[in-house]
Amino acid sequence: MKVFINIFGTDIRLKQEISLEPASPALKEVLRALKGQYKGSVERFIKDDLSPAEGSAILVNGRNIWSLDRLETKIHDGDEITLTVLVAGG
Amino acid sequence: MKGTHGKLLEVDLTQGKTKDLPISEQTFRRYLGGRGLGARLLFDLLPARTDPLSPENVLIFLTGPLTGSMVTGSSKFVVVTKSPLTHGWCDSYSSGRIAVELKKVGYDGMVIRGKSNHPCYLKIDDGGIEIREADWIWGKDSFTTERMLKEFEKNPSVGISSIGPAGENLCKFACISSDLYRQAGRGGVGAVMGSKRLKAIVVKGKKEVALHDRKRLVELNRENFQRAKKSVVAQARMKYGTPLTLNITHTGGILPTKNFQFGTWEKALEKIDSVGVHKSTISHKACLSCFTPCSMITRVSEGKYKGITVEGPEYETLGMFGSNLLIDSLPIIIQANVLCDKLGLDTISTGNVIGFIMECFERGMISANQTEGFELRFGDGEASLAAIELIANRKGFGDILAEGVRAAAGHIGKGSDRFAMHVKGLEFPAYEPRGAFGSGLSYAVSPRGACHRRAWPPAKEILGGYPPYTIEGKAEMIKGLYDENCVLHSLLVCDMPAKFIPLSLEDYANYFQAATGESISKKDFLTIADRIETLIRMFNLREGLTRKDDTLPYRTLWEPLPDGPAKGEFIGEENLKRMIDDYYTCRGWDSEGVPTTVTLQKYDLPNEAPKG
Repeated sequence: MKVFINIFGTDIRLKQEISLEPASPALKEVLRALKGQYKGSVERFIKDDLSPAEGSAILVNGRNIWSLDRLETKIHDGDEITLTVLVAGG
Repeated sequence: MKGTHGKLLEVDLTQGKTKDLPISEQTFRRYLGGRGLGARLLFDLLPARTDPLSPENVLIFLTGPLTGSMVTGSSKFVVVTKSPLTHGWCDSYSSGRIAVELKKVGYDGMVIRGKSNHPCYLKIDDGGIEIREADWIWGKDSFTTERMLKEFEKNPSVGISSIGPAGENLCKFACISSDLYRQAGRGGVGAVMGSKRLKAIVVKGKKEVALHDRKRLVELNRENFQRAKKSVVAQARMKYGTPLTLNITHTGGILPTKNFQFGTWEKALEKIDSVGVHKSTISHKACLSCFTPCSMITRVSEGKYKGITVEGPEYETLGMFGSNLLIDSLPIIIQANVLCDKLGLDTISTGNVIGFIMECFERGMISANQTEGFELRFGDGEASLAAIELIANRKGFGDILAEGVRAAAGHIGKGSDRFAMHVKGLEFPAYEPRGAFGSGLSYAVSPRGACHRRAWPPAKEILGGYPPYTIEGKAEMIKGLYDENCVLHSLLVCDMPAKFIPLSLEDYANYFQAATGESISKKDFLTIADRIETLIRMFNLREGLTRKDDTLPYRTLWEPLPDGPAKGEFIGEENLKRMIDDYYTCRGWDSEGVPTTVTLQKYDLPNEAPKG
């Protein structure tokens, strides 16, 4: 599966194409695979239980996973996953 | 009450007289300061239905009980007046040395009345108050004005607020500038200052603000500084500033693009977003009294605008002059930012008005024949820069644009009001409400018109768990966000550290207790916020605004968003009506948005009861 990853934190990565082989298309499995593959850059956003870390949010195609199917949200080839700090104001 | 002086300076420019206006401790307890005190004063001091640009309007500068106390983010002030853009309530926020100097000279703020018969400026210091002639700086831009006044005073550390040519020319979205790049931008406060022929205010004080427990304030700052160091949100914000917001609004599909026709713009990425701005950042800056330096100083490194430097551009400027105009050149946006700051224009309203005219040109609703040959097309950066100067100087077609987007649509006609993006006459800021319905409600019910400062719904609808395209629960959500910001804007602290460290209302209650000696709870704060928002509602009702003004433009209500995560979404009149009904109910207002007698009594506002 190929997905695009955005990271908005103290470092920024935009639409980075990543190939993963999750156990299933559920977001939790995609995040598990992501954590295994990219330890340094994504760990601060994802807790051990794969939910968003404090001060962070996970979006799939621009939608917060809490308003989708949470960690069961089905990820498709080409989807965009955003790991972000809770940006405020502007 | 410690932390306050219990008095304002009242200046009558018609009479050329000044006097002290006492403010009781009871008033501070009921309204805190800032927005809250401004609501009380504007309601009491302004005759009903006053023309905003007449001498009878009052221009009120206010600090808060934490100003001058070293609390992080506390060098803020608010300008409260009746807006020439909306003919309703206006509170416009800025930071600057003048806020602290006002406290140091012994005042909690100023009430300015009347109109001088010649250009003037105010000089306030420990030696007294003078109304001085300002012919020598009238017509100068804000940067030059500030520099000349500092040279004249032979003191680079005076606090100065001034207007540029836009304010002098009564451009209805003119701002008041402080410390060059800090603007009380929204609602046309600069035009009100210009209508009084008041070019600038210069303040320098030496008095210490009496504080209840200075040691405790230092301790609280130390603790919160440690929290900021550990907060990844704060660290990201201090590294990238508000441009980071553009990445989120683009991702979430709420980035205003092409005059709010679209919600995403790929071309913004790495050019005018956090990445693009970071490449041009030469240093970081904190406001006075703040330990979180979240402001960027950027400089153009090559090309026609090489060397142009600005504190900014902030997200709103990137959104309104970038994606909204299809301009992906950061140098152009930096130059636009500098021009607006120098000439004294609100970058939000200016970008909005230019985007509107670009769409009118694109749709053939106007032609160069009607604009002395001047054309504005999406993506045309140089024409946008030229438009800024036309607006500020009210030259040619700029004279119509200087009246704001509502008036410009009225002038052009042909159904252009359908895409004139404003509420109550105040131009939309850089959030597309079709991708976050709560933003639509927030814009609609805001007493100052389309406002991004009363609430920041993306925190809930993009980054939080609230579904963005539904209406359920949105009224309570918006009321909660409004009330929290109302407290911050009445204490008059920057809401940014509160959001990104984060600091809670309990944290601010601790600061408040240390500064004033008064114990207060979160519940007390929220009761005060309810009182303030209800009083502001009563002010707007008195000035003739009604439920029909709590609405959104046709585009937001009826045109499906064509792209991004919210593709196909529009708010719809029934959805908006239901959200507004719910909001009024939450506030204790009736179906017309009039606070009920019970509500007025609950918040101890019996004198404001509607007549008849």
